[in-house]
Amino acid sequence: MSMSLSNPNVKQTIPAMPGTWTLMVFALTLGAGMLMTPYDPTQADFLNRLATPSALHWFGTDHLGRDIATRVLYGSFWSLGLSLGVVSIGAAIGTIVGLVAAQNGRWVDMILMRTTDSFFAFPELISAVTIAGLFGPSTMNLVLALIVVSWMKFARLVRSLAISVVQQDYILQARLNGLPAWRVLWQHNLPNILPGVFVLWTNSWSRTILAISGLSFLGFGVQPPNAEWGAMLLDGKAYLLTAPHIMIFPGLAVLFAVLTINLTGDRWRDRLADNI
Amino acid sequence: MLNIAKLSVSAAGRTLLHEVSFSVAASEMLCVIGESGAGKSTLLKGLMGLMPCRYERFEHRSSAEESAFATTSGLGLPACRYVMQDPLAALNPKRSLGQSICESLYTQKLPAPEQRNRALSALEAVELPVEFYDRLPKEVSLGQAQRACLARALVAEPELIIFDEPLSALDALVQKKIALKMDQLRREIGITYIVVTHDLGFAAAYADRILLLRNGRMETFQDKGDFFANPASAYASDLVGAAQTLGALNRMEAAE
Amino acid sequence: MNALLTRLGGLVTVLFGISFITFAVTHFAPGDKALAIAQARYPGEMGFDAEILEGIRDEFHLDRPFISQYLHWLVDFLTGDFGRSYSSHSKVWDIFAGNLEETFSLAITALTLGLAAAFLLAGLAVWRKGSLIDRFAILLASVGAAIPSFWLSILLILLFSAHLGWLPAYGTGTLAQLVLPTVTLAFWVMSSQTRLLRSFLLEAYDQPFVETLRLRSVSEREIFFSHVLRHALSPALTMIGLDLAGLIEGAVIVEIIFARSGLGSLLAGSVLARDLPVVVFLVMFFALTYVLINTVIDLVQTFTDPRHLAGERNAV
Repeated sequence: MSMSLSNPNVKQTIPAMPGTWTLMVFALTLGAGMLMTPYDPTQADFLNRLATPSALHWFGTDHLGRDIATRVLYGSFWSLGLSLGVVSIGAAIGTIVGLVAAQNGRWVDMILMRTTDSFFAFPELISAVTIAGLFGPSTMNLVLALIVVSWMKFARLVRSLAISVVQQDYILQARLNGLPAWRVLWQHNLPNILPGVFVLWTNSWSRTILAISGLSFLGFGVQPPNAEWGAMLLDGKAYLLTAPHIMIFPGLAVLFAVLTINLTGDRWRDRLADNI
Repeated sequence: MLNIAKLSVSAAGRTLLHEVSFSVAASEMLCVIGESGAGKSTLLKGLMGLMPCRYERFEHRSSAEESAFATTSGLGLPACRYVMQDPLAALNPKRSLGQSICESLYTQKLPAPEQRNRALSALEAVELPVEFYDRLPKEVSLGQAQRACLARALVAEPELIIFDEPLSALDALVQKKIALKMDQLRREIGITYIVVTHDLGFAAAYADRILLLRNGRMETFQDKGDFFANPASAYASDLVGAAQTLGALNRMEAAE
Repeated sequence: MNALLTRLGGLVTVLFGISFITFAVTHFAPGDKALAIAQARYPGEMGFDAEILEGIRDEFHLDRPFISQYLHWLVDFLTGDFGRSYSSHSKVWDIFAGNLEETFSLAITALTLGLAAAFLLAGLAVWRKGSLIDRFAILLASVGAAIPSFWLSILLILLFSAHLGWLPAYGTGTLAQLVLPTVTLAFWVMSSQTRLLRSFLLEAYDQPFVETLRLRSVSEREIFFSHVLRHALSPALTMIGLDLAGLIEGAVIVEIIFARSGLGSLLAGSVLARDLPVVVFLVMFFALTYVLINTVIDLVQTFTDPRHLAGERNAV
């Protein structure tokens, strides 16, 4: 058989890619689970330590007898919510920097872009470890560190998009029609920039989930006994050999969350490409 | 209607267009022609108010402004609208044709229903169905999009519309239809047109006066009849001769 | 030439920016630096006399204004004086050089393994496009991008150390201890490159020359190995180069997880011990490596394709 390779489109070969609905079902399951679980995520139950998965404790219990399923559910608040906040703030900062650079040109542009380049040189996780470590491991410092390393991609993207949009004739028409600058920005620049930002935003969201759980696992992020997925794994590390089930479910949760967001983001990106 | 003497346009300290003089009467069409780099788009940017201009005399309607080479930041003609070359670049892809047309009324501060009514009658004037009000630019053909741009200019009821190569992005058949529509509207409503083009056939068919630019200077400024019958310069007569050989003039005149 | 000068100017600005950010972050971190130095110098003691702290402040110029301290440090750094560790008093450079090899060997082994796997997988996927192998390759790439590397390492430890008992879980020194960290990192390399390689290969197959070769009845094997692969190699090398910075970062994280000695553990240890000279040097090293890699890729692209010279430097 000869190789027939006319279409390099990846889309075709991915079986049933989940979309927005999957994400919503995912969120609803988490919410419903948190409402329905009979356990408290931080309440210890010493009679039930290190229990393997059963009908009562679906994912088993950890070294303090806490229900792992409940903790995984509550962990979504930390992992998904915290990363959502971090990425949104980073996206907002980057968008503003990119817009200002594109709008002003010359010196302002040069200074802002060199600053962006400088920040870009620091690898994300290494800077996060350093900042969170030096300023003291805590959730707040983790958030600050991740914001510091997350805005540059948005600044670069928004700047390049904004520059290409500014050269379009419809912006010139709007100015000739007497629209004030803020209205031109709001009605013409932003609607043509934000879709691209949105795609990067989903991409950064999943990366940030990985970063938060990774840093928490290394001890630089959310601290135990908070039920963050990475922190739960750090908690269970000492029982790796005696009760391996502790280590399975929080990791699966990270994998599943990141996979869902990535695939949904791919779907959105394809749809957006069709729309342009 | 518009009478400009010795207009110079400069950018970054360099004069790109030297002392161009021309005039156009109400409801006439002035065609600005010349090869690329002749200064057509520089003149356009000066008229739009995007580049600093100097002029000796600048009369617009009844108001005359005379000065010994006054420097202004740009002319910024009042009661004027523009139609660009590429309709898809001139229309925001995220906004409906109706929204784009209504934007032209922004400074007039009309209530929304009034704006909509005027946009709808502008659509009618360029022979687009009313449901195009809610269409996005990518959902219509290139010719229809250019009609929408024409509607956007018309809706503000301007005295003057400036066109920048309005036909060159379109197919030949669509070109003819839109050229005829432009001409008909000008005669019916009595708007003045300034059309920048490199299409001599179009100028021959529709213009009243012709301004020929070359290397950033004015070559000739004549009535259409004079320009084609006895061109005022050697370059102009070469141009007319070449166009006649190619049959461009006859083709467009036949269209009329 | 002018474009090259502008770029050089940009590069110098960025290098200054990097040094400023690094120094500022460590400088404004909370905590008394004199106390940190004293604690590192006299381990075991808790309270320190004001005079000792004062002496240390004097010795390290800690009471000078920020800008003066920054310039002082920058001049030292540029002249190759990277200072001494607070805790061990050894030269920072010596500590660094002693740990570099561990990280380097881990990164190179993982890169080789990961790329070999990625080429194999992408080649198979393209060979039978749309088949089970192709789907499996895409699935593996998607899962690989989503799997947290620290969790993957836990799974590997559970399987190979705890369950099967084949390999040691933690530590440095023997070859066996290198296996699990390498596999973890190689898996990351493989999953990040497979998908890209696959699309580069498909793109190469789309080129008109392939059809011409087929009409001249060149065998499929020869088309793939001597034409398509070569065509896909240039964009692939660029992407691999861009991922090198990520590889070093990955190596650092994997080292911390597996408690291996190397730059990663050195960084984590120094950060927690507030051994600032070491921290500053390591962060500078990682940032400068990133800039170096990018500049090299940039130059290679410029010399292979002159159109890049006029274009934007930062492809998003």
